[in-house]
Amino acid sequence: MILLKLISWPYIRKHLLRWMLTIAGIVLGVAVFLGMHTANQSVLYAFRQTVDRIAGSTQLQVSASETGFDESVLERVQSVPEVRAAAPVIEASVNTGLKGQGNILILGVDMTGDRNLRDYELESGEAGIVDDPLVFLAQPDSIIVTDTFARQNQLGIGSKVPMSTMEGEKLFTVRGIMKSSGLSSAFGGNLAIMDIYATQKVFGRGRRFDRIDLTVKDGARVEDVKKKIEGMLGPSFQVESPSARGGQFESISHVYALTANITSAFALFIGMFLIYNTFQISVTQRRSEIGILRALGATRGQIRTLFMGESVLAGLIGSTLGVLLGIGIARLMLGYIGSLLGEVFGIAEKAKEISTNPALILFAIVLGVITSVVAAFIPARNAARVDPVQALQKGKYQQMSAGENRVRRITAFVIAILGVACLVFRQSHGLVYAGDALTLLAALLLTPTVAQLVVQALRPLLRWVRPVEGTLAADSLLQAPRRTSGAVAALMLSLALVVALGGMTRASYGSILNWLSVALNPDLFISTSESLTTRGFRFPESMGPQLSGVSGVADVQGVRIARIQVRGMQTIFVAADIAALSRRATLPPTAGNTAEMYRLASQGKAVLISDNYALLRGVKLGDVLDIASPRGVLHLPVAGVVVDYSDQQGSILLDRSVYKRYWDDSTVNLFRVFLTPGASETDVKRRILEALGNQRRLFVLTNREVRQYIMRLTDQWFGITYVQIAVAVLVAVLGIVNTLTVSITDRRRELGVLQAVGGLRNQIRRTIWLEALTIGLVGLILGLALGALQLYFGLRITGEDLAGLRLNYEYPYEISLMLLPVILLAAFLSAIGPAESAVHGSLVEALEYE
Amino acid sequence: MNRFVFGLVVLGLAQAQDVRQIVAESQKRSQSKSEQYEGTIEVFGSSNKVSLKHWEFERIGSFGVSKSILRFTAPAEVKGVALLIVNHPDRSSDQWMWTPALERDRHIALQDRSTRFFGTDFSFEDLEERDVNQFDYKLLGEELVDGQQCWKIESKPKEAKSSQYTSAVLFIRKDIYVGIQIESYAKDKLVRRIRYSDIQKLDDIWTARTIEVYDANRKSRTVLKLEKLKYNVPMKDENFTLEALRRG
Repeated sequence: MILLKLISWPYIRKHLLRWMLTIAGIVLGVAVFLGMHTANQSVLYAFRQTVDRIAGSTQLQVSASETGFDESVLERVQSVPEVRAAAPVIEASVNTGLKGQGNILILGVDMTGDRNLRDYELESGEAGIVDDPLVFLAQPDSIIVTDTFARQNQLGIGSKVPMSTMEGEKLFTVRGIMKSSGLSSAFGGNLAIMDIYATQKVFGRGRRFDRIDLTVKDGARVEDVKKKIEGMLGPSFQVESPSARGGQFESISHVYALTANITSAFALFIGMFLIYNTFQISVTQRRSEIGILRALGATRGQIRTLFMGESVLAGLIGSTLGVLLGIGIARLMLGYIGSLLGEVFGIAEKAKEISTNPALILFAIVLGVITSVVAAFIPARNAARVDPVQALQKGKYQQMSAGENRVRRITAFVIAILGVACLVFRQSHGLVYAGDALTLLAALLLTPTVAQLVVQALRPLLRWVRPVEGTLAADSLLQAPRRTSGAVAALMLSLALVVALGGMTRASYGSILNWLSVALNPDLFISTSESLTTRGFRFPESMGPQLSGVSGVADVQGVRIARIQVRGMQTIFVAADIAALSRRATLPPTAGNTAEMYRLASQGKAVLISDNYALLRGVKLGDVLDIASPRGVLHLPVAGVVVDYSDQQGSILLDRSVYKRYWDDSTVNLFRVFLTPGASETDVKRRILEALGNQRRLFVLTNREVRQYIMRLTDQWFGITYVQIAVAVLVAVLGIVNTLTVSITDRRRELGVLQAVGGLRNQIRRTIWLEALTIGLVGLILGLALGALQLYFGLRITGEDLAGLRLNYEYPYEISLMLLPVILLAAFLSAIGPAESAVHGSLVEALEYE
Repeated sequence: MNRFVFGLVVLGLAQAQDVRQIVAESQKRSQSKSEQYEGTIEVFGSSNKVSLKHWEFERIGSFGVSKSILRFTAPAEVKGVALLIVNHPDRSSDQWMWTPALERDRHIALQDRSTRFFGTDFSFEDLEERDVNQFDYKLLGEELVDGQQCWKIESKPKEAKSSQYTSAVLFIRKDIYVGIQIESYAKDKLVRRIRYSDIQKLDDIWTARTIEVYDANRKSRTVLKLEKLKYNVPMKDENFTLEALRRG
C-alpha cells in the first residue's frame, strides 16, 4: 500500500491520460456486459414479477404449452383431494386504443373462485356493484383496471376503454379499480381483469383455458400434488410453480444473452490487450525506478505485488466507471430489448424501470478486475525479473530477444495445427469453439512476427511517400515490436470481429431472403394481429369457407401456429394442410425425398422439421419425435428436413388434421390466401375487410407487407450485431489512440534527440502520423485476414449453436473496403494529439526523460 | 326457501328429548312439495353503501332431493342471470350459473362454495339445502333469543360432508319448532350469523319472511325479504335442468 502511494500514484498522476485510456477497455467491456445484461434482465425481471404478482398465492400452474386445453380439465384438477382451490386463467395482450398506452395484459379469471388465489383489493366505485361479481359476470364488457392505468388515462368507474377484440374494436366498461399492490403492478400496471368466459368469447379462444392456477391443502406436499396431477393429465401438460414459468422465457431468450456475453467478452479481451500493452511499456519506462527499489532491498515479490496492485486499482476504477456507463446503456437499450423480446420471442412485457442486480454488478466488477489482473500478470512478472544493475544503466531498453520470438513462433505453429485438427475432427460443438479459440491464440502469438514482416514490406512504400519521416516511422515500429504488436493485435481482433459479424449478417439476410421468396408466396395473409408473432387471438375454422367465398380468392390455407413442449423444449408447431402447402410452396429439403416426405406428412404419418431445428436439436431424418398431446403421445418420424425460418429456435411442420384430432383445437392463427389470376390484391383485401371486418378482428396483410415485417424483425435482431460492430470499431480506435499515446511518451527521449540534432517539428509530426497510419494499415491487413477465418467459425457457431441457419461463406468485401478509410482516418485523428504533444514538449525534459 | 337459505336448516321438535330428533322433526314439519317466491335482497356494505337486487325463486322436492332455480330480475345489468342448485342426500349440491349475455353456464366448483354469493353476505354453501343426516348434533342447552325460548344445538358436518364451517350453533324455537338463528364457525371463529324473523304461518308451515345474514369478517350484512311466497305450487321436474336454466 505504501509502495502504491509512493511509487505508483506519482506515476499514474503524471501519465493520467494514458492511464485513463488504458482502463477505457475495461470500462467499455464492463459497460457493455452490464448494460446488455441489465436491460435484458430488467425485461425478464418485469416479466417474472408479472408472473409472480399474477400468480398471487398460486403454488402450481397447470398448462399445456400455448395450445391451451379443454375446460373439462378444470374439473379433473379440482377433483384431486389435495387441491384446495383451482382457478382457470386466460392471458392475452391486446391493444387498448388509448393514446400512448399500447398493449394491456388481459387476465381472464373466474371471479367466483379466483379470490381464493388472488387479492384484487378493489378501491373505488360503489362497493355493492364493483365488489359484486354478479354484475362483473353478467356484463361481458366488464373490466377491472389498476389504479395506475386509471390515473394515466383519467378513468373512473363506468369509464369506457376501447380494445381490439376478435369481434372488432369494442368498448369495455371499467367496473372496478385495483389498489396499488402486488397484482395491480404486474405488467407495469397495464393490466385488466375480465371474466374468463367473456375473455374466451372476445379473444376467440373457444371453450379452452390457458392455464389453471392452484393451491394445495394444508398438510399436502406441493411436490406430491404436482406428481399426482402430472400423472393424471399426462405428458402434454406442464405442472410447474409460477417461478418455473418465469424461467421458461429466460431459456427462450438465451441466444440474446449469449450474444451479449460474446460482445462484452470481446470488449474485455481487447481491454486486456490494452492493459497488457500499457503495463508492459510502463515496466520498461520504470525500469530504473524498479532498479532503485531492488537496489534498496525490495524483493521480487514486492515489485510483482506493486504492479499487480496497480492492475487491481486500474480494474476497480475501470469497472466502477463501466458499471455507471453500463447502467446508462441499459436505460438506453430498455425499450429496444423489450420490443425485441416481444417481437422475436413473444414475451409480452414492458419494463419501465431498469432493475439493477447487485450480484450482476459485483460480477461485472470482479470480471473487470480479473481482466486487469490477468493482463498485468506477465508485465508484473517481467518487472519482478528486472536486473537492478542493468536497470540502472540509462538508455538500455529491454528488447524482445530472438529466442523469445522463436519460441513464440513455434508455439503459435503448434497451436494453429491443434486448431486445424479441432476443425477437421470436430465431433462436438465444443471442438468448434476450441478450434476458434486456438486459431485466435495462434494469430495473437504470430502477430509480432507477421506485423514485423508487414511493416518491413511497407517500409519502401513509406520511404517513397516521405523519405525521412517514412523511414523513421517504419524503423520506430520495427525497433519496438512488443509495443507495435500490442496495438496491431488489438486492432486486428476488433477488425476481425467486424468482418466476421458483417459476413454473418450478410449471409443471414441472404438465407432469410431466399426462404421468403420460396415459402412466403401467398398473395394475402389474414392474421389476428398486426404482429405475426402474437398468437393471443385465434380465428374459428369456419372463417376459411367464408374467405373462399370472397370474389377473387382462389385458395385459402388455414395455419395454426403454437409453441408446444417437445423433448423438454418449447418448440413452434406449424400445423397446416401439408398437401395444399406443397402444391403452392415446396420448401426446399435439405434432407429427405420431396415427394415422399410431403406424402407422408400430409397423411399425418410423419412430420417435417425445419433445418434450424435439426441443427440446433441434433435431430436427423428418420428420427422419431415423441410429441405429447392431450390425447396421448404421438410418435412421428421425421420424413424431411426443410428450410424454414418461422422461428429462431426451429419449427416442426405437422398436418393440421393431426393437430385438430390430438389437440382438440380447430382454431387458426393465420389464413394464407391465394388469388385467382388477374385479381387485384387491393380489391380482394377491401372485399375481405368489407365481408368480415365488421364481424371480427382481422388484419389483411399483403405479401409485400409480410416480407417487410419479417425483414423489420430481422433488422431488429441484427440491431445487437450493429451494437457489437460499433463496440468493435470503438475498441479498435481506442487501441490506436492508446498505443500512440503510450508510444509517444515512451519515445520522448528519442524524439527529443531527433529535435536536438535538427529534426523539424513538421518532420516529427509526419513521422508520428505515418507511424499511426502504418499501425492502422497493418492492423487492417491482419484484421481482414483473421476476419476471413473468424467468419468461417462464426458461421459454424451461428449455424449449429445459435440460430441453426445454414449459411453460405461469402467474404464481406464491401465492409472491408469501408473499413479502410474509417481505420486510416481514425488512426490519423488519433495521432494528432500525441504528435502535437511530442513537438510542443520541453526539449530538455525530453532528453532527460526515462 | 327458508330451508334453502338456512343452509344448516333446523326446525324444532317440541317433545323430543333426543337432539337429532329435534332437528329431524323440524325438517319434517317444514317440508313441502314445492316453493315459489320473489326475493328482494339488500346488501349493506361496510362503507354504508346499499345495493338492491330482486330475484324469483322456485323449488321442487324437499331437502336432500330438492332442485331450485333462482333468477335475477333486477337491476337491469344482472337480469336473467340464474343459478340452478341440485341437492343430494349424501353429498354437497351441484350448482350452475347461467349468464345470458355470454350464453354460458358455469359450474360452481365445490371448493368455491365458501366464496360470497354474488356480492351478498351469503356464501354459495349457505344456499344448499342439506339433509339432517349430514350432520352430528349436540344439545348445548336452552337460551332466550328475541324473547323466545330456544334450544341451543351445536351441529358439526360429518366427515363425508364438505363444508367451510367446522361447526354451527342452531337456535330452534321451542314453541313452533322453527330455527331463528344460526351461528356458523370456522375453527371457533364466528364467520356468519343468520337470523330469521317476521315468522308467519303459510300453508301450515311456519316460515320466516325476513332473513338477515351478518358477515363477521367484512362487518357487512344482507337482508333478504320473501314476497309472494307460495308452497306446493304445481311444477315440472324438467324445469329444473341445465337445459331449462339455459332457456331462461
